[in-house]
Amino acid sequence: MARLADFGTAWTKLLDTDTGRRQVLPSRDAHGIRADIATGHNADRRAPRHVNELIALAQGGERLIRERDFVLLDVGSRDVKYVHLRGGELAAMDWETTCGALTGFTLELLGRYYDLDYSAIPPADLAVPVTCGVLGMEQLFELVSQGVSEADAVARFARGIALNAHRFIGEPGRFYLSGGMCENRLFLRSFPDGVEVIPLGRFVLVEGLVAEMQRSAETAAGG
Amino acid sequence: MPRPRRRIGFVGCPPEDVLAPRRRHELIDLDNLVEGVEARSQTILPRTTCRIIRRILDNALSLNLDEIVIDEGYGKCDAARGLADVLADLLSIPIVRTRNDARAGAGTPICDSDLPVRRKMELILDGLVKPQALTLRAEANPRAAIWGVPAADFALYELFPAGAQVLGWTRCLENRTPADGELELFVPANVPVVFFAQTFCPKNVIAQHLARKHHGLHVDFDGVMSRTVRAKIEAYLRFRGALD
Repeated sequence: MARLADFGTAWTKLLDTDTGRRQVLPSRDAHGIRADIATGHNADRRAPRHVNELIALAQGGERLIRERDFVLLDVGSRDVKYVHLRGGELAAMDWETTCGALTGFTLELLGRYYDLDYSAIPPADLAVPVTCGVLGMEQLFELVSQGVSEADAVARFARGIALNAHRFIGEPGRFYLSGGMCENRLFLRSFPDGVEVIPLGRFVLVEGLVAEMQRSAETAAGG
Repeated sequence: MPRPRRRIGFVGCPPEDVLAPRRRHELIDLDNLVEGVEARSQTILPRTTCRIIRRILDNALSLNLDEIVIDEGYGKCDAARGLADVLADLLSIPIVRTRNDARAGAGTPICDSDLPVRRKMELILDGLVKPQALTLRAEANPRAAIWGVPAADFALYELFPAGAQVLGWTRCLENRTPADGELELFVPANVPVVFFAQTFCPKNVIAQHLARKHHGLHVDFDGVMSRTVRAKIEAYLRFRGALD
């Protein structure tokens, strides 16, 4: 049995490979948890084997997406990253923690602060120019102070994040999404019209760890 | 009576005929990290100054030098040329301005050897202060290459497999032709290449262009290598088959 973990900044995702049990818990409640193979923030201190997030993302994508060409975007609490595979080979990738900083985290925070149901808010036509979560939030509060409804202001903020993320990955017409934002219906609908977004859920990086485990087993077996 | 040994700093790759007579003195490469030097440049230089130029000024202000020799030719940047004026105003020691336009190459056996990349960088930089005759084995099939200027954080070089080729301005440095633009642009075919320049260094323009042209990876960092840059390089080298 192995415990695989994605120790995210805000959320920790765990997989027990023996039972198949999956858990998502707030990272503040996961301090004592250790794993056999891990990725994410401070993972190297919490597991004997650490896989960096981009490798985990790419390998997770290869496991879950049965295509040779794909773009896979991960929107985390504090960062955005993506991989683009063409013909099964890595064509492009990037990881942004500065301009993409705190975007997912801020959207979660705003939802709780305004008590919003993201599944019930329609996407906005306008976008807040979101340089980063913090600067975007300043503009969002300015909109609210000007009389824009809280729901509409947050929808514009979500659209700003989505447009930024879409530009970041090269503006493909179709891409896969990883991370907690897969569960945010407003965010999923905030990308440009005609762009197909396919959510894969929160366990893509953990799936990448499964691939890593299998790769190690094959190497150990001499294959 | 022998003349006293002086403490001389140098910047970039001054011409050999300028460096050679000074090697009997204590020569210090001001581009390199000197432990314990106080960071005073931040109050003097703009925030958009690259880490190496900052380091040069920090070293120059702290090391009680008797003289500084600066290569301010085509092989160095406008920031280094500006720094020569700053140093001339701040220090009361001779600032010797030189231009190294040499085209006669000394060769690149270290860049092309089978050594670990970090060791290659140390040998190349140490070679300016104390040239050595080295017996090196050439790497016949480098699995990767690193293009660029010497990084402020040598941890960068530990990410590469042994024998990875060294390209760009660092290659020109070993060749003692820092202004050889043609050599600087040399990129071998079918080898995964990471293109690096310090953040705020104008060489990022060509680094990014070459990365796009040769399907490489362009990275920059200011001082210490970030976790995201490390991850990008690891992922790039792994998925391009350069790492097991």
